[in-house]
Amino acid sequence: MMSAAASDSRSAFGIEGMHCANCAASVERTLRGLDGIHSVSVNAATGKARVDWDPTRLTLKPIFEAIRKLGFRPVPLAGEVAEAAAVKERRSALKRIGVAGLGMMQTMMFVYALYASGAHGIDPGIAQYLRIAGMLLTTPVLLYSGMPFYQAALHDLQRRRVGMDVPVALALTIAFTASVYHTLLGTGEVYYDSVTMFIFLLSLGRFAEMSVRQRSLSASEALSRTVPAEATRLHPDGVTERVSLARVVSGDRLRVAKGAVVPVDGRLLSDAASLDESLITGESRPVSRRTGEPVAGGAIIAGNAIEVICEKPASQSTLAGIIELLQLASSEKPRTVAVADRVASWFSFCTLALALAVAVFWGVVDPQRAMPATLAVLVVTCPCALSLAIPATFAAATSYLARRGLLVVKPDAIERLPRIDSVMLDKTGTLTEGAPVATVESTIGITPDRALAIAAALERGSDHPLARAFQRFADPNVTAVDFHEHPGCGVEGIVQSRRWRIGTPEFVSGQSGLETDSLLYLGSDEGIAATLAIRDNLVAEGVNSVRQLQAQGLNVIIASGDTTEAVRAVAATLGVREYHARMTPQQKLDFVEQTQAKGRNVLMVGDGINDAPVLAAATVSCAMTQGAAIAQAAADLLLLNGSLQSLATGIRVAQHARRIVRQNLAWALVYNLVSVPLAAAGLIAPWVAALGMSISSLVVVTNAARLAWRRT
Amino acid sequence: MTIVLLLIPLGLVLVCVAAWALFWAVDSGQYDGDVEAQGLIAVEHDEPPRV
Repeated sequence: MMSAAASDSRSAFGIEGMHCANCAASVERTLRGLDGIHSVSVNAATGKARVDWDPTRLTLKPIFEAIRKLGFRPVPLAGEVAEAAAVKERRSALKRIGVAGLGMMQTMMFVYALYASGAHGIDPGIAQYLRIAGMLLTTPVLLYSGMPFYQAALHDLQRRRVGMDVPVALALTIAFTASVYHTLLGTGEVYYDSVTMFIFLLSLGRFAEMSVRQRSLSASEALSRTVPAEATRLHPDGVTERVSLARVVSGDRLRVAKGAVVPVDGRLLSDAASLDESLITGESRPVSRRTGEPVAGGAIIAGNAIEVICEKPASQSTLAGIIELLQLASSEKPRTVAVADRVASWFSFCTLALALAVAVFWGVVDPQRAMPATLAVLVVTCPCALSLAIPATFAAATSYLARRGLLVVKPDAIERLPRIDSVMLDKTGTLTEGAPVATVESTIGITPDRALAIAAALERGSDHPLARAFQRFADPNVTAVDFHEHPGCGVEGIVQSRRWRIGTPEFVSGQSGLETDSLLYLGSDEGIAATLAIRDNLVAEGVNSVRQLQAQGLNVIIASGDTTEAVRAVAATLGVREYHARMTPQQKLDFVEQTQAKGRNVLMVGDGINDAPVLAAATVSCAMTQGAAIAQAAADLLLLNGSLQSLATGIRVAQHARRIVRQNLAWALVYNLVSVPLAAAGLIAPWVAALGMSISSLVVVTNAARLAWRRT
Repeated sequence: MTIVLLLIPLGLVLVCVAAWALFWAVDSGQYDGDVEAQGLIAVEHDEPPRV
């Protein structure tokens, strides 16, 4: 039997030339028609696609071919190519706006002369001269600056759909054709000014949308761009060499200069390093590393130049993993966006129907007003709140959070986050900094300080992770000799001519049946002298973050597999009232489901590896993870900096995103309800209609962009 | 009013000149944004410092 993973390939790439939700939908439909495609998701707002396919039946080449046949260009996402594409898109948009603007100003004068002179009578020769001049100016504007609208409309029509560009293209065609007809006839109204103005104002709106879209791309791109293309490799004979990053393999020694980005995951060879890991974790304070400790790709050298030994090729580094996740996430479409896409298409179709009705009505009642009213209806309607602003809002939220150490892996999570009312924390690793410290629980015959000093002396020789808990209590006057480590039991040694043991009660005293939970025993030949506990230190920030979550009205719950005392202590410190200890994964799962059955929405925070089923059951799941584990974590959100603060921010940002979407929908509703009837009644001049649509789309897109600008 | 016969073509020519100037400016990267990055070109190292 073939495993699911073996028959599944996944890729994310950019698609150039998509203008609206319908373009994205047509790409999706076409790709789904290919044999061997499992799933396709195309996001018009971010210009990205994500495809899962069966590599035994299909390769990327036919997929790209199919996209090209639709008139779009697939481009690789990472690095310079995507950036170059963005620059090209921006430049050509600017040129089109410029040409439309210049053409508009000149045409305006010619046509104004025709209007103004109408009352006084104008020499027919000069009037015709002005019409021809207007035609000469408008034709290049229409062909050059208006081209994107025609291309987009054509794509829609080829796919038998109606997008937001179809009414616009229709309005341009009608106005221009009528004008040319009247020009050739040598009499009658010309609408060259309307044509150029439509194109200018609508292009301006498109340009603003494009800017927002390009900014939302940048979370993953900013990261890809930080990865250097080359590395400095050190040879054993001391020679240094610049090599392409792709040629760096495990075991290579690399030098990284001050201020440079560590290109791969590796281990530190230098004595010490000061690293700024803000790209990976969002944490801007530098961290220090010592010889032999891991150094993550993407870290910036804050101190002196360092040497590292490469452990994984660049393509498998932590940073590469984050970039890939971000790209996959931004190419997937949240459910709200999919719904909005469908509504927008239906909306555009209704616009066409309404325009036809308006044309017929005024054609009968007052033919003079038929043309302006029809044009106004076609141009004034604005589905942009649906087809542009909603995806832009989600994209802005995702990129905002990525910069603060919270990766949104499943875009749907942004929609579910605002509903969260309970946050369930797994104590292990999420609330503690993983730096255990020993404390004395009880002593018999010796002082607590002396007990710790002896324990520290004994543990000095041990490699056991818990031995670190005693480091800070080491006393240079108290040293142990002749020590032996008994795996699974403890350590023994001679301290000041007396034999001491530290470890399990059976090992230390020979007795059994004593409490063993989180407790270590210290004893000599004379019996047990002290009981010690190992505690994880709470991150000071953890306390603040929990308070912040509670202040946001969230019910914080601890559900841990740890012992009752340990969990109670954590809960008391954090001010968490509800806690559950000694929970098996199954009990955690049941607990989540019970809580949800009460109508609550649970955000579960875990490590993402061992607690995958619990995470899957929660309304939103968040994995606290670092380094190589990032790629394996199964969760909606990934918390990269280990700070619950980012989670509190995440919930606030998601609520903000929801508010913005609602505001935009309300705006769209009011705007269209007011403007469409007025336009149909012939009360809005075509130029006001074009201005209205541009301003409306600017309003919604700017509102969406507010998210990217927020401070906290 | 025969002057318009001259002025209108002149206007058309001026529009063409303006459009050409705009194309030149855009293509030479004047509007690519990121003003800070342009300023940094002056202080950028062509090669990484030797150590």
